[in-house]
Amino acid sequence: AVGELGRLALEQLRRGAAPRACEAAARKLNIGVDTVQHGVEGLTYLLTESSKLMISEIDFQDSIHVLGFSDELNKSLLQLYLDNRKEIRSILGELAPRLPSYHSLEWRLDVQLASRSLRQQIKPAVTMKLHLNQNEDQTAQVLQTDPATLLHLIQQLEQALGEMKTNHCRRIVRNMK
Amino acid sequence: ILDDPDLKDIDPTVLKHCHAAAATCILEAGKQKADISAISTCLEDCKLDKERIEQFCTEYQKNKDALEVLLGSIGRSPLHITDVSWRLEYQIKNNQLHKTYQPSYLVTLNVENSDSGSHPDVSFSCTMEQLQDLVGKLKDAAKSLERATQM
Repeated sequence: AVGELGRLALEQLRRGAAPRACEAAARKLNIGVDTVQHGVEGLTYLLTESSKLMISEIDFQDSIHVLGFSDELNKSLLQLYLDNRKEIRSILGELAPRLPSYHSLEWRLDVQLASRSLRQQIKPAVTMKLHLNQNEDQTAQVLQTDPATLLHLIQQLEQALGEMKTNHCRRIVRNMK
Repeated sequence: ILDDPDLKDIDPTVLKHCHAAAATCILEAGKQKADISAISTCLEDCKLDKERIEQFCTEYQKNKDALEVLLGSIGRSPLHITDVSWRLEYQIKNNQLHKTYQPSYLVTLNVENSDSGSHPDVSFSCTMEQLQDLVGKLKDAAKSLERATQM
C-alpha cells in the first residue's frame, strides 16, 4: 500500500493532484477514496518537508518513528525519501522567486553610413539580441552599443567572473556547506 | 536674438527670417559635410559680399565638428547600452528549499533610449557558466570589430 501511495504522492508533486488516480488506487486497495487522498497528501507533505530541509537518514528515521508504524513500513518510507529527494528538491527549486535569467546572446557588427540628418558617416556599432527566460517564456531584446562601451562591458564582466576565484569567495563557499 | 540690444532697431519679423535662413544654411551645410569652397560658392550665388562670406565661413569652421557630432546623434536606434553593473551573490536558502548553496550573478545593463531619454534597464540573473558564455560572445564581437578596422 505504501508503494502505491508513494507513487501517487510523487506524481502529485510532479504534475499536481489527480483525483481519478486516487479513485483507482482506492478501488485496488479496497479502502475509501478519502483515506487514499489523505494518505497521499500526508506522504506528499512528509516528502517535501524532508527534501526541503535535506534531513539526514537518521533524522528522518527519528521523525517517522513517532508515528508508530512497523519497521518494514519505516524502511519503505526511508527508501522512498532517499530515492526521490533529489528530484523533489529540483521541483521545489523552481518555485523560488526568480529574475529573468540569461539564455543566450546573438550579435552583429553594423556600420552606419548615413542618416537623415547627416551624410557620409562611418559609425560602427554592435547590435545584439539578448535572449532571456522568464518563468518559461523566452523574451528577446534588441540592444546596441558602441565599440568603446563594448570593451568596457567586457572588462567589467571579466572582473565579475574573477570574483568567484578570490580567496574571500572561496572561503565563504567552503565554510557554508 | 530678439533681446539682443544691437539688433533692436531691426524689424523682428525680418530678424526671425534671417535667423531661420542662417540656421537652415548651416544645417544643410553640416548635413552634406560641405567644404568651405562649396559654401562660399553658394553664398556668392546669393549675392553676399566677400567680407560677409569670409566671416560666415570662419565661424562655420570653428563650430563644424560640434555640429557634426550633434547631427550624428539625431536619429533612431535600438536601446543603447551605456554601462553595466553586476552583483555576485551566494544563495543559502529560500522559503521553498533550504541549503541551496548556489552562487549566482545579477547583471544590470544600463540602457539609454535616445527618444525619450528614459532608462529601461535590463536586468537578469545568470550562473558563472552563463556569464562566461556571455563574456565569450562579447569578446568574439570585439575581435571581429578589430579585424574589421584593420581591413
